[in-house]
Amino acid sequence: MADKVIPLHMIPDVQSEVIERDGKRYLQSNESMFTFYKRSKGEFSKYFLGLKEEKKIYGAKCPKCGLVRVPPFMLFCPDCDFAELEVIEVAQEGVMNSTPPITYFGHSLMQHQVPFGRGRVMLDGADTALPIHVYTTKGVLTPRVFKRGTRVKVVFRNDRIGNPRDVFAVPIDEVPENKRRVKGLQENDLDWLSPAEPRIPAATPEAQKTHESVVQQLIAMASQAAGSDRAKKDLAGWKRTIQVKTAGGAFGLKIDDGKLAVEPKGFDRPDLVMIAADPRLFSDWMNSKESLTNAIIAEKLWISHNKEFTTVFKLDRVPRSLRRTQK
Amino acid sequence: MRDVAIIGAGITPCKGRWVEKTYYGLAQWAVKEAIADAKISIKDVDAAVYGIYNDIFELSAIPEHPLQGIIGMTNKPGMRITCGGATGAYAMLTAYTWVASGLYDIVIALGVEKCTDCFDFESKTSTPEVIKTIGWSGDTFFERELGWTASDSYAEVVLAYMDEHPGDLKDEVSAKISEILCEHVQNNPYGQRYGEKVTAEMAMNSRYIVYPFKLLETCVYTEGAGAIIFASMDKAKAICKNSGHPIIKVAGVGASNEHNVAGRDDRHKIMHRILSDHLAAKAAYKMAGIKNPLKEIQVVELHDAFIKQLQITMAEMGFVPLGRADDLIEEGIMTQGGPVLVNPSGGLTYGGHFVGGSNMFSCWSARRELIKRGLDRALIHGTGSTIAQYGVAMVIERRS
Repeated sequence: MADKVIPLHMIPDVQSEVIERDGKRYLQSNESMFTFYKRSKGEFSKYFLGLKEEKKIYGAKCPKCGLVRVPPFMLFCPDCDFAELEVIEVAQEGVMNSTPPITYFGHSLMQHQVPFGRGRVMLDGADTALPIHVYTTKGVLTPRVFKRGTRVKVVFRNDRIGNPRDVFAVPIDEVPENKRRVKGLQENDLDWLSPAEPRIPAATPEAQKTHESVVQQLIAMASQAAGSDRAKKDLAGWKRTIQVKTAGGAFGLKIDDGKLAVEPKGFDRPDLVMIAADPRLFSDWMNSKESLTNAIIAEKLWISHNKEFTTVFKLDRVPRSLRRTQK
Repeated sequence: MRDVAIIGAGITPCKGRWVEKTYYGLAQWAVKEAIADAKISIKDVDAAVYGIYNDIFELSAIPEHPLQGIIGMTNKPGMRITCGGATGAYAMLTAYTWVASGLYDIVIALGVEKCTDCFDFESKTSTPEVIKTIGWSGDTFFERELGWTASDSYAEVVLAYMDEHPGDLKDEVSAKISEILCEHVQNNPYGQRYGEKVTAEMAMNSRYIVYPFKLLETCVYTEGAGAIIFASMDKAKAICKNSGHPIIKVAGVGASNEHNVAGRDDRHKIMHRILSDHLAAKAAYKMAGIKNPLKEIQVVELHDAFIKQLQITMAEMGFVPLGRADDLIEEGIMTQGGPVLVNPSGGLTYGGHFVGGSNMFSCWSARRELIKRGLDRALIHGTGSTIAQYGVAMVIERRS
């Protein structure tokens, strides 16, 4: 089945329910606000067709002031009495206009694509910056990859529909030298090897002792979570088995529709693997001194699948919810 | 232009979700509070300006139309303003202008928003759907498909500022400001996070939502409403004599909207600046005769969508130099006993952020502080749209 403009799994059933507050009953119902479009790209069509069909990037140059605007978001220059602009092909290399933000908590249509970076690239010869996704071929995107001035190469998706997501940028030093000047470079021209599971230092008695302590603390936290409506809500409707590995050993965490459980022996075929050399990371997490999200950003924690950031977010809510419940 | 004063203000309690109220009920509640505060009748009000940011939150393309009757404004003029995060500030600017122009004597600016009815049925939480709904605000041809959000958009500006001023906006400073705002909200029983304790350490260790923004340094989502009543000075004198409130004069206003595309100079957006805030404040200061805001303004109610943006905005508005926004803490500008009381409401981070009315909430608080503490002058600020494109500033003064 072709992709739908509204993913089918996001669409709820027609129904209503009663919520109680302070002894009173309130009705709420599943509703939506939607409109379908056959939306013309109008004067921007040449730009988007350039992405889709030609693997070219177009800009608009003012014959009077010489300004080159990329993307060509208008065809008449307001600074020169609306002089008509000339559409020109521009370079596919440039620099980051500023350090791009990395989204770790995306909106509901992008939840499975985090973490992703959205930056602005000043292509060579341009005077305005092109909004674009940024990726690295080296694994999980962390803030150290892209900075202001990082030289980048625009890469075209293998499948394109005439959409801003048809292109993205990678650091040019991740592109083989013989491909750096190639126009229309595609994603399958690059090496996207998955990063190998990080090696864990050899176990020490101290790390094993800390690891055992962490497991006991986690068991206690899971018990507390069972008595916290907030924590149960954090994990409602979610099922995952997680194998956690540290320098002190391994254990399993299980999320089962609102319940959190510790499996000291772990799982043979987990949904997700988490690796942290230092088991104290999990103590810090339980004591709200560190979040798992931040640990991934700081490269102190590794997860096996990017899409499982959603699971990490849910786990990150639990210590905070327990703190609020206790208060 | 006539002199204009604020004669009444009212807000609802701020909550993450009002199951008990629709936006109709919240709007009516805020108007009732404002009218009671001014000790006038709604019949005395000549016109209404509505601040409602997002059609989709309210499930209506004309969300203000049902409010006209239920707030008692039948057969009178009413107009909706929507300008992103700065909706409330622009609505108040419009209400002010209607009175200052002589068109009407008394105008109510009503801001309301219901947002967490939005619900993501996949994650079974509201937040991802709220963010998506705000995401419909971004450029629809070149940016929305990239997952544009308010957070990553403001993060772009903050990161660009950090590129330009690498020693500024230290995490320890932002975390301390978060702690201060949490302390402030304890004086605001209407605040969403009233009763909650967040320390700098907790803010420091809270998780990133969009790098470099952390959860406890980010505004909340709120449902609520706020109303501010503006009157000509002649009317205000009589009304305030009756109500017993001091006259709060609107001494200066300013606004600016930048380009939404980043470029090399100010013909487009300069990413490391929030020029709109600078230009808006500059215009408001000129009108109010303010030469040195740090010495002449005692209270700032600033639209703190994100703490690091609060810091940049304070610099853009002249309270600290650009590149030294950390002086807010390191030089004691906004710490206890410092020269400026910043966001005594708890701000949008702790007080609440019901978008269309958040700036009314700030105005309500600024006026309250001038009256309660016997201070002279306050600044109210609103920011909004993609990459902090819109800026609005309003200076108010206590007159009696």
